Amino acid sequence: MINQQLAEISNLALVVTIVLYVLALIGFGADLASSSQRRSDARLAARDRAEARRVEQAATVGGGAPAGGAATALADAPSGGAGGDVAGEDAAEHGMTAQRFAFVIASAATALHLVGVLTRALATQRVPWANMYEFATTSTAIAMVAFLAFSVRRTELRALGTFVVGPVLLVLLLAQTFWIVPAAELTPSLQNSHWIYIHIGVAILSTSLSILGAVVATMQLLQAKHERVLAERAATEEFPEHWGRFGHVLDRLPSSASLESLSFRIHSVAFVCWTFTLIFGAIWAREAWGRFWGWDPKEVWTFIIWVIYAAYLHARATGGFRGSRAAGLALAGFVAVVFNYTIVNTVINGLHSYSGLG
Amino acid sequence: MRRKTRSQGTSAGGPATTTAAERDGSAPAGEGAESGRWSSKPEVDGARAAAPSLGLRGTLLFLWRQLTSMQTALVLLMLLAVAAIPGSLYPQRSVNPALTEQFLAENGRWGEFLDALGFFEVFSSPWFSAIYLLLFISLIGCIVPRVGVHLRQLRAKPPRTPSRLTRFTGYTRVELPAEQAEELIETARRSLRRSRYRTEVREEKGGSSVSAERGLLRETGNLLFHIALVGVLVCVAGGSLTSYRGQVTVIEGDGFANSLTQYDSFEAGAWFDETAMPDFRFTLEDFRASYVQPGEAGKVGEPRSFEADVQVSTPGQEDESRTVQVNKPLHVPGASMYLLGNGYAPEITVTDPEGTVVAEGPLITVPMGDTGYTSQVVLKAPDAQPEQTAVVGFFLPTGTIDEQGPRSLYPDALDPQLALTVYQGDLGLDSGVPQNAYEVDLTTLTPVAGEDGSPVLIRLYPGEEYEAADGTTVSFDGLRRYAAFDIAHNPFERWILISALTAVGGLILSLFVPRRRLWVRVREADGTTVLEVAGLARSDDPALEGDVKTLASRLTGAHDGNRPPDAASSGHPAADADGGHREGSAQ
Repeated sequence: MINQQLAEISNLALVVTIVLYVLALIGFGADLASSSQRRSDARLAARDRAEARRVEQAATVGGGAPAGGAATALADAPSGGAGGDVAGEDAAEHGMTAQRFAFVIASAATALHLVGVLTRALATQRVPWANMYEFATTSTAIAMVAFLAFSVRRTELRALGTFVVGPVLLVLLLAQTFWIVPAAELTPSLQNSHWIYIHIGVAILSTSLSILGAVVATMQLLQAKHERVLAERAATEEFPEHWGRFGHVLDRLPSSASLESLSFRIHSVAFVCWTFTLIFGAIWAREAWGRFWGWDPKEVWTFIIWVIYAAYLHARATGGFRGSRAAGLALAGFVAVVFNYTIVNTVINGLHSYSGLG
Repeated sequence: MRRKTRSQGTSAGGPATTTAAERDGSAPAGEGAESGRWSSKPEVDGARAAAPSLGLRGTLLFLWRQLTSMQTALVLLMLLAVAAIPGSLYPQRSVNPALTEQFLAENGRWGEFLDALGFFEVFSSPWFSAIYLLLFISLIGCIVPRVGVHLRQLRAKPPRTPSRLTRFTGYTRVELPAEQAEELIETARRSLRRSRYRTEVREEKGGSSVSAERGLLRETGNLLFHIALVGVLVCVAGGSLTSYRGQVTVIEGDGFANSLTQYDSFEAGAWFDETAMPDFRFTLEDFRASYVQPGEAGKVGEPRSFEADVQVSTPGQEDESRTVQVNKPLHVPGASMYLLGNGYAPEITVTDPEGTVVAEGPLITVPMGDTGYTSQVVLKAPDAQPEQTAVVGFFLPTGTIDEQGPRSLYPDALDPQLALTVYQGDLGLDSGVPQNAYEVDLTTLTPVAGEDGSPVLIRLYPGEEYEAADGTTVSFDGLRRYAAFDIAHNPFERWILISALTAVGGLILSLFVPRRRLWVRVREADGTTVLEVAGLARSDDPALEGDVKTLASRLTGAHDGNRPPDAASSGHPAADADGGHREGSAQ
């Protein structure tokens, strides 16, 4: 039986969760903006220092100094940026920065998010992933937990908050407006099988990892482009600028190589999870429908996802495809994940029609 | 799969894993040459340059190398992904033949064009098959040489310690007061062996070195993954040749015996042996369905459970009662039975104007797909006199007839009724064209008219009888349910699962086992002992630098005599600081 009271609590919790995520997003956004401001201040200071030094050098040595002056200025610039960060962290030690605020609110939101998912599970006496709405709320909760777990110690990753909370919020809003269905019991095809825990559980994990992987791969692509342009401009300009404020945000994020490495680690776990999703799905399909594989649209698209991620892993080990091109493949894989989740669930008719819509 | 391995050693990781070589901006020359040997085959570019001067054999070799190159594999993988897309966008004959026919009928020329290109049988189309076959040939062509290389590697000793270690990851140099160099090397070797490195101690000029290697399991896993994928493909092919699958419809109270004639439809692989079909029979004793009732959570009329009670008898075993449900198939040796459908079978009796019973008993009706289970009734009475008769209409479990026509409001049989029209004329059964039992061609038939001259829509409740103007009677005697089962067997299923799980096992090894080399060199000069430790990551391996440093500090710590080597765990907070300090003070 459905416990309506708990179901209502779940709905309420998720609505409040959305509000909190909006606050967290504002916080993360403000943090990015302020980091851009700090960075500008630091650069101005560096420029002043360099100017003073050049004047000094010009006075003492005479000609031939400008090149050396530029070199020291360039060397100063990154340390100035680091100084800005240190200042930011100092402030975080003592008071409430935008980022700390955002992180705390995001943690609270995630906790409430989990409460919403759990009460839904308790209300229906089953796993909270029997339809699109529940799948969305559960997988975003897991993505958030994973992000918080990654960034609780590696504080530099918190700067990515905007790019994680943003998509999560988007999915939750879609779920809340278009995919929401009342709490209900399972349809017969989902009953009597422990594979609902295993197959869909792994699928949710895979989806969450794909979301995180796509965020990191996107940042990696932007960062790589940013770094390339900066390197080009550094040859001719003293203080290379690129993409204005957004560029300052990128300056604060890990390097593209480091993001690439993170993206690879996330995607390799995701690939293993997708492989298990396929295998467990095949086992369940054999128990439920009498065949392990039937080219159902969902099966086709999971196969496509798997193949694209396989291509990504290969591209990463192939000369000429490493880095940005491989990241492009990872994003193509994510597009397939999104397609599989949205279009296949709602538009294309297949055996996996559990959206509960229409 | 890693086909081209050159420069792999220097590609590893981001800043956390930056190797010494990367920081220097150049790959160590020794490593480049070494990995050239390790690589399973030459660069494609090399082959391309050599192609023009070669004859037929050369061209074939060139094509083969192209096919087995990583770029080709990548392109084929992406092609495979793209080629699968139409298989989900267009209805597939193998999945849903009715929908395919409907699409073809609606799209005329365009549909025919797509059909000719195989868009309705994507997964058995020549182009899709070509892609995956090429992919697997490419895969095999890549794997076979690598297996040989890997087997040699497994037996080979770790390669020589490079003459200059300074460029490698975590390079640590410590000068110790005159020490027993041999003892130091032996400690290093033991320590590395405990950490599952394969080690080799070599005498060198002025000292000796340990060369250690770990993570060959990575390549083993990689090869295992790809071989197991070939296994999956072979087993799937074997399965499709030997498996069978059929559909049966059984009305409550009726039985089924497993033989070809009993199936509504049946398909089997080319090598399927019909005599090998297992002998079993069952009787459907009861079929129960429950639905969401008004006032309950969920959509009213949505199914909640389907259960079929069957009495099964298999040779040599006692009869047993079993309940088949969705997700709970019935397994007997050599076959499995799945509950995939159900519906209503109203008992209808038809007598012709001469008083002869021309149709009697339960009639399988076909649900039209709405929540209310509105089901189509087609009853053919070819023996009726003076004219052949057909009774066509609907069975409504909870019926109503309004401006939308006859329809059912709820799937359970709360208010069962029939809405029928009687037709007379030629059923077309003698034309020789095979007919679907659930369809009738109404063009050659005329409906029986009522007093006002318009066709009569007969509405019958259980126990009622209707008599038409010409004397034909139709009666609704009772109601039974039927269940539709799929019976299938694929002897290769087990092997497909084993192959797939092996593939995942290999995949996990190939992704998460770090492959690395580690070197320890000890030289004695001028009364001091110089200890050098360095490593080389051959895959993403962020932990390597830390492990090298830990080993270095453990070695120096051990030789201070303060601490036995085993006590220095890798996580020891003092280990790194200690080593660093000693290094600093010694210089």
